[in-house]
Amino acid sequence: MDSAGFLLGGLELTLALSLLTMLSSLILGGAIGLARCYGPAWLRWPLVFYIDSMRSVPVFVVLVWTYFALPLLTGVILPPFWAALAALTAHVAAYVAEIVRAGVTSIRPGQSRAAFALGMSRSQAVRTIILPQAVVRMLPAFGSILSITIKDTAIAAVIAVPEYMNKSQTVAGQSFHPIEVFLVAMAVYFIILFPVTRVVDMIYARVAYLGRS
Amino acid sequence: MNFDWSVVWHNAGALVEGTKLTVLLAVTTMAIAIPGGILLAVMRLSRVRVLAVASASFTELFRNLPLILVIYTAYYVMPVATGLSLSPVVTGIIALSLNVAAYNGETFRAGIASIRMGQSEAAYALGMTRWQTMRDVVLPQAVRRVLPVLASTWVSLFKDTSLVSVISVAELAYTSMRVRSQTFRVLEMLTAMAAIYWMLGYPQAKLVDWINRRYSVKE
Amino acid sequence: MDTADPTTLRKGSSQAPVLVYRNVVKRFAGFVALAGVSAEVRKGEVVCLIGPSGSGKSTLLRCTNGLELIDDGEIMFDGELLPRDWEGMRRVRQRMGMVFQNFELFPHKTALGNVTIGPTTVLGLSREAAEKRARALLEKVGLADKAASYPSQLSGGEQQRVAIARALDMEPEVMLFDEPTSALDPETIGEVLNVMTQLAREGMTMIVVTHEMTFARLVGDWIVVMDRGAIIEQGPPKQIFEAPTVERTRDFLSHLGWSG
Repeated sequence: MDSAGFLLGGLELTLALSLLTMLSSLILGGAIGLARCYGPAWLRWPLVFYIDSMRSVPVFVVLVWTYFALPLLTGVILPPFWAALAALTAHVAAYVAEIVRAGVTSIRPGQSRAAFALGMSRSQAVRTIILPQAVVRMLPAFGSILSITIKDTAIAAVIAVPEYMNKSQTVAGQSFHPIEVFLVAMAVYFIILFPVTRVVDMIYARVAYLGRS
Repeated sequence: MNFDWSVVWHNAGALVEGTKLTVLLAVTTMAIAIPGGILLAVMRLSRVRVLAVASASFTELFRNLPLILVIYTAYYVMPVATGLSLSPVVTGIIALSLNVAAYNGETFRAGIASIRMGQSEAAYALGMTRWQTMRDVVLPQAVRRVLPVLASTWVSLFKDTSLVSVISVAELAYTSMRVRSQTFRVLEMLTAMAAIYWMLGYPQAKLVDWINRRYSVKE
Repeated sequence: MDTADPTTLRKGSSQAPVLVYRNVVKRFAGFVALAGVSAEVRKGEVVCLIGPSGSGKSTLLRCTNGLELIDDGEIMFDGELLPRDWEGMRRVRQRMGMVFQNFELFPHKTALGNVTIGPTTVLGLSREAAEKRARALLEKVGLADKAASYPSQLSGGEQQRVAIARALDMEPEVMLFDEPTSALDPETIGEVLNVMTQLAREGMTMIVVTHEMTFARLVGDWIVVMDRGAIIEQGPPKQIFEAPTVERTRDFLSHLGWSG
């Protein structure tokens, strides 16, 4: 069972890639979402174009293009892990941006008006009144994005990122028991994802009353 | 660095065939996964414990697995489990259908739950059975209510068909990658693949936005 | 807790009662909605259930057609105990009609579709026969010209009249009304009460939960006053409205601004 150690390495990479992607997408997506809401008008159309394009194109295509085609265009060769990180971030950030935009616009305009009436500046109002409420509403959606991100890391297997899916394929190919290997893989992913989904559902339930306005 | 974009034009026929298969995969999967989702939702609400638990387990399972893994597993498991050797296309459709049906099951369950209790009570008061009430009063309203969500699910499905390329189904992604390998025109073919998905997907995404806007005003 | 019941004066008292409630108890998650209710409904009677919110009036109505199951006591319909199984109760429901406060018309069907759905689905009537009957009923409630309209195109009063036609199309022996006019604009209340009055004159047995005291006074044959899950007083309208014997009844009526 030396494959166990091999697969465990893959699992570590799956988790690392998922968490890093999540982090960078939250930062990038958050920035884009806020820029869409509060940024200059000329910025909106390119941002919307970017977001809609990422919604239109499969993750598989973004991953493959980033790994194989981007180097030919820019001359920069990204190792598989970093290519995957870049591609997944670009893709997930678009969804994060949409969530941020939806969260912020769901706050009643009356809230900003009340803040301005108290003499707050725009950035103070956004920081202290709008965002705290909006973030609470966004939490369930972010949880869903985490779940989707973990699943998408499995696609990175096709660009030779040695995460869990990729390593499972290797082991399956070498042993003569592909079914066992993939069933174990299903169990492993289920064990990782199930708690995430459950926590998201729980947050939805808790947040529902907070979100009501 | 020289790029030869004519390779795209020369292989247009293959790309069109691939696109056709992509559409066929998506349509066939939805045709199975919509009735499948309704069935799962009705089972979930059944008073027969076994059916409710089976449905909930099925949904939980497929919502928590990466689709690409389901596709690989189906590819290896199906021939052994059924004793038949199914073509990759059929295997791909099965994997996609299982996945989308699980999501649709949740969608329809939420849709059914959103129909006021009073509607069912009015039906019962007329003497209708539980099944008649579901069929004639609740489901027709629930389906209409979840159309925007189904539209979003369709767009995701359309993109997810690209994953069955890993088991050699000759849809758009597989075809583009194959031409790339044959011609060594990596940037051109991969960009063409991205562009075609974009041209197909962008209007669909915009249509979903429109449907969402139109339907949220209605209630 | 019954007050003296002048049965010889009650309408339909020469025949056996249509509905008998004996010590009916209904509990919901720790609170008691009905605390031992006993009453009778005679054939052709219009019984009005009045009382403050939360007194159990709607609960009693919903227990009558089995939308709620009672925890203790008995309800007899036409001399037989109400069944406790769903299928048995379903058959009883075909003999009773219910009109809801929120109308509960099916939004995806036209007025005609709403009225015919009962007979076609439950009684197995053919489309043509059901439509013929339905049109006659829509004519009766004054909405023959709205047969092809959808509920969203109808006013509240029109929707409620369609709902009454829908219930009547099953040819019930008893009609149950759960605050039929509470969700209506004042202008449309009258048209619904007129239909109900006409029904009463035609001899339909009706149980009406209502806050419309004028209707109860003029059309009701027997008034049942409820408070906190119990009947505190019942009697003919003249007695209840002009000379209530129980303090709480007087309080309730005076709060409604009812001066007799």
